[in-house]
Amino acid sequence: MTDTNKSNQKEEMKSLKILIIDDNEQITKMLTTFLELKDHKCTVANDGKEGLDVIKENRHDVILLDLAMPEFDGYSVIKDLEENNTLKDHKIIVFTASTITQEELDDLVKRGVMSYILKPVDIDLLHSKLIDTASL
Amino acid sequence: MLPIKQTLFIVSGVSSFIIFYMGIVNFLTSVDESTGMILLIFSVFVATGTLLGTVHISTSITKPIQKLAKNMSEFSKTNKISNKNTIKTNVKEIFDLNKNFEVMGEKVEKTIKVQKEYVQKLKDMDRKKVEFSSMVSHELKTPLVPILGYVQMLQKEELLGKLNEGQKDAVDEIYASTIKLEKLIGDILTTQKLDLGKLVFDEENIDVSELLHGLIKEFELIGIEKKIEITANFNEDIQIFSDRDRINQVFSNLIKNAIDYVSPNTGCVTIGMKNDSNHVEFFVEDNGLGISDENKKELFKKFYQVDTSSKRKKGGSGLGLAICKGIVEGLGGKIWVESEENVKTTFFFKIPKKPLKIKTSDRLDKKIQNK
Repeated sequence: MTDTNKSNQKEEMKSLKILIIDDNEQITKMLTTFLELKDHKCTVANDGKEGLDVIKENRHDVILLDLAMPEFDGYSVIKDLEENNTLKDHKIIVFTASTITQEELDDLVKRGVMSYILKPVDIDLLHSKLIDTASL
Repeated sequence: MLPIKQTLFIVSGVSSFIIFYMGIVNFLTSVDESTGMILLIFSVFVATGTLLGTVHISTSITKPIQKLAKNMSEFSKTNKISNKNTIKTNVKEIFDLNKNFEVMGEKVEKTIKVQKEYVQKLKDMDRKKVEFSSMVSHELKTPLVPILGYVQMLQKEELLGKLNEGQKDAVDEIYASTIKLEKLIGDILTTQKLDLGKLVFDEENIDVSELLHGLIKEFELIGIEKKIEITANFNEDIQIFSDRDRINQVFSNLIKNAIDYVSPNTGCVTIGMKNDSNHVEFFVEDNGLGISDENKKELFKKFYQVDTSSKRKKGGSGLGLAICKGIVEGLGGKIWVESEENVKTTFFFKIPKKPLKIKTSDRLDKKIQNK
């Protein structure tokens, strides 16, 4: 790819600040590799507690949140933000491989989560969902 | 039916009357007045005695029997022997009857308790199975995330660099297998849920013609690519109230199967529906190889494949039709196949236009009972 192509793409797409909260390092590594190649900036937190600290420190355009994590899981992150009445201030996309029912997913959205993506995911779909959610 | 009490009363009443009557006759006909008087008084005593005796006997028999009858009817309702109405009796037969009833009752009580424990155990086992398969599916899906991600990144050459032809083919094969693996994991989980009656069905208004046209559109490209004609054949537009995604899933599985079994260029796949008063009958027809009678019976079983060698090449898991059957039955309908070898095969599935009110838990209970 030539340099002119790259700069054209940069103009088309806004660079996003993305927070990834997931305990699986292979997943976070793949996501950061992909998203940085797409010119976004990624911050990684490997568990819910750490993720919550990052959320409280810095604003992110969009947050990918895994649900099943040891000790402090994604549900706890959502609950904590809910209790502080700040859940709706953040654009959270739940990103999970758990066997979760549509009802449970709908409930999360009702509570203030922006959207959800089920693992494994087509990376193009993931990318467009991140951009769409960030621009909402 | 004649109760014991009344019968005894009638018998004793009649006999007392006869005794009393004979006393009077004796009194009137006897020569000696005092002898007649004695006989009369005696007959009055005997008659009264008979009556009182009857009352006593009949109560001592009927009271405990009535109590026992009450206990039995209570037992049939509660399956528990109540200690409230203990029966006291000096009549040996009734005592034995009651004793036997109590022994039988205790046994029934015990059996029911054991049965309940088994049902609970089966339910626990089912719950554990669901938990286990959910966990396995989570653990299998997680590593698929980076696999799929990196493969897709490699396929997009602008991200990680250009590939030569051999590398491109290799990456495409990895991608195809990854997608198959993902689908297989989903199928296994769906099968398990269907088995345990844990699959939840939605209820929504479905425009049938929209659904069928949507399917035709979905398979249009594959049809063109494989030179197979895929058409819809129906002339009515109806609304049903059911689970759109699940019906789509059944159709997709059947259409994919049909596409696999027809030959390119001459292959035809037709989908459609027939309207019935309470049901709608969908069908997927193809002009492929057909299915032998022997295979028809086994077709809907899990992991059954008509021709193992050829089907494996096409990548079926052997779960597709089992899932179709499970879904259609879950929706309150039935699925079947009709086929003429080397002419055509038609899969039918008939579902109610409005869902039957079966709760998932009821289905599970039924399943346990069937076991």
